[in-house]
Amino acid sequence: MVKKPEIIIEAKALEFNYPGDSLNRSSAINGIDMTVNRGEYLAIIGPNGSGKTTLLKLFNALLAPSGGEVLVEGISTVDHEKVPLIRRSCGMIFQNPDNQLVATTVEEDIAFGLENLALPSAEIRQRVTEVAQRLHLDKLLLHPPHLLSGGEKQRVAIAGILAMQPRCILMDEPTAMLDPSGRREVLDTVKALNREEGIAIIHVTHFPEEAAHADRVLVLNQGEVVEDGPAEIILTDLEMLHSYNLQGTAVVELAALLRQDGFNLPTRILHNRELVNSLCQYERKS
Amino acid sequence: MSIRTEKLTHIYMPGTPFAAEALNEVTFEIKKGRVALLIGPSGSGKSTLIQHLNGLLKPTSGQVYFDDQSIQSSKAELLRLRRKIGLVFQMPEEQFFSETVFDEVAFAPRNLGLTDESLAESVYNALNRVGLNAEEFKDRHPFNLSSGQKRLVAIAAVLSIKPEVLILDEPTAGLDPAGRQKLFNLLADLNSNEAITILISTHHFDEVVTLADQVMVLKDGRLVMDGPRDQVFNNREKLESLGLALPSVTELMQDIAAAGFQVKTGIYNLEEARREIGRMKERQF
Ligand SMILES: Nc1ncnc2c1ncn2[C@@H]1O[C@H](COP(=O)(O)OP(=O)(O)OP(=O)(O)O)[C@@H](O)[C@H]1O
Ligand SMILES: Nc1ncnc2c1ncn2[C@@H]1O[C@H](COP(=O)(O)OP(=O)(O)OP(=O)(O)O)[C@@H](O)[C@H]1O
Ligand SMILES: [Mg+2]
Ligand SMILES: [Mg+2]
Repeated sequence: MVKKPEIIIEAKALEFNYPGDSLNRSSAINGIDMTVNRGEYLAIIGPNGSGKTTLLKLFNALLAPSGGEVLVEGISTVDHEKVPLIRRSCGMIFQNPDNQLVATTVEEDIAFGLENLALPSAEIRQRVTEVAQRLHLDKLLLHPPHLLSGGEKQRVAIAGILAMQPRCILMDEPTAMLDPSGRREVLDTVKALNREEGIAIIHVTHFPEEAAHADRVLVLNQGEVVEDGPAEIILTDLEMLHSYNLQGTAVVELAALLRQDGFNLPTRILHNRELVNSLCQYERKS
Repeated sequence: MSIRTEKLTHIYMPGTPFAAEALNEVTFEIKKGRVALLIGPSGSGKSTLIQHLNGLLKPTSGQVYFDDQSIQSSKAELLRLRRKIGLVFQMPEEQFFSETVFDEVAFAPRNLGLTDESLAESVYNALNRVGLNAEEFKDRHPFNLSSGQKRLVAIAAVLSIKPEVLILDEPTAGLDPAGRQKLFNLLADLNSNEAITILISTHHFDEVVTLADQVMVLKDGRLVMDGPRDQVFNNREKLESLGLALPSVTELMQDIAAAGFQVKTGIYNLEEARREIGRMKERQF
């Protein structure tokens, strides 16, 4: 018997209106049904204003649905008493790290959530040391977070969530302010947490190369889920992506142009090496 | 206007345990009408440098010049120059202070004395130019926008004064692919039709790199590379050792070259890559 995947987040007929929405524009979230399974790595892409941040805030009980409901591990997000539980199992990393750095030193900031869990202080220290090393923050532990660079701040925010050892991490464009090595570091860390510890990841991004790290990709447009499927299918479907004003990665876009020029290339090229390999085979055949 | 610095040095909180030398004798020049890209690892001093360029931060030592006019020479001079310098910060929402998008974008031109009709016109123009439908957005509260929409408002707010110099700190962060392309087109247009000097600092330079004449690299507050675009991006090893990356298309071409194909690698956009691989096919297959 195949074990049924365990659902972490479930949205049912979910709707959300910001005050004033009805006047001249449609709902920010407009009837979404979806589930996220334990251990899944899901990317969400979609144009500016399509509802990505709003959806994550609904998952994290920062916003209450205007219609329908969100269940996190079976618990409705409108159940006030359970909100801390929901936030602990699904931590959220925001686009702008300034909004979530609260303490006077980096160390305290990483420990902030843990303090509220009333863990023994030795355990807290150990977890803080561990995640600080993992994200290369060890040298900054005594610095005030608000004086760090944008990229450094974002790593502190990520460390604070990781220290909670959550079941699921919601990330809203977590790398928007990071340099290439910071980006890689965060993506590698998140991927390792997903693969090795089975933490589900929901990763909102404007970069198809980041979405390519996910197993599954969802496309949001005007508050609706318009596509949902495996990364290699969604991210290579240029006709669909372009129809929502989105793009493929450089290699996907280039492969498509080369096909137009008569190159006979496989349909699902998603990574540089796949294009390079196809060109090598091309050379051998001719 | 040209932008020039001379031995610009900045120390944050000197004399405290947190004293940090964020800039160390940075000297460069961006000629009038040129587009320069400023890159560097996180914490290397890019935002610090940029905040000196409109006098928001004062150097510990060194100078900033626009067309050989030092911005430190007098308060009046600084104010005069600020009217010509459009600067978009890394976290644009931190600069918002108006109740509506219209007032936010109208703030600077209003200060310049524009009234009523010409004011509305320049606000509408600026909003439409960044791809925000003015009718739809003008009465919205700037805080109640999605993050990409906020960034576009911040860019529109500096365009509304028709600057001679445009300085953008992470302008593409949070923009969707269409928004990035639109911004690219806008900058290309401002640069080629109005000869605006542009400095862009960003970790995501795939789109804007096509425009860049000059690339400057900061590391630990020092300018470690400064030269024509091809020269800087030809040095992949050095960039990678600094924790930086090539533009995606350039990297792809270098990967193809590394597999033994004879291709030019100083390539920054898809159409050039397409042509180059087409030429390679004719030669080699
Ligand atoms: N606080 C708010 N009040 C009113 N409307 C809002 C608010 N926040 C967002 N909106 C609107 O709701 C819609 C969805 O916004 P949301 O922030 O979820 O989009 P997004 O997909 O995250 O966009 P981006 O890619 O720009 O971050 C947009 O039209 C936006 O203008
Ligand atoms: N207000 C401040 N007080 C003290 N130190 C600061 C302050 N602002 C920045 N710093 C420090 O100065 C250095 C340069 O920071 P800056 O913000 O200029 O970097 P950056 O290159 O823009 O980084 P990023 O790519 O992350 O935005 C960093 O080490 C940072 O921690
Ligand atoms: Mg968002
Ligand atoms: Mg910066």
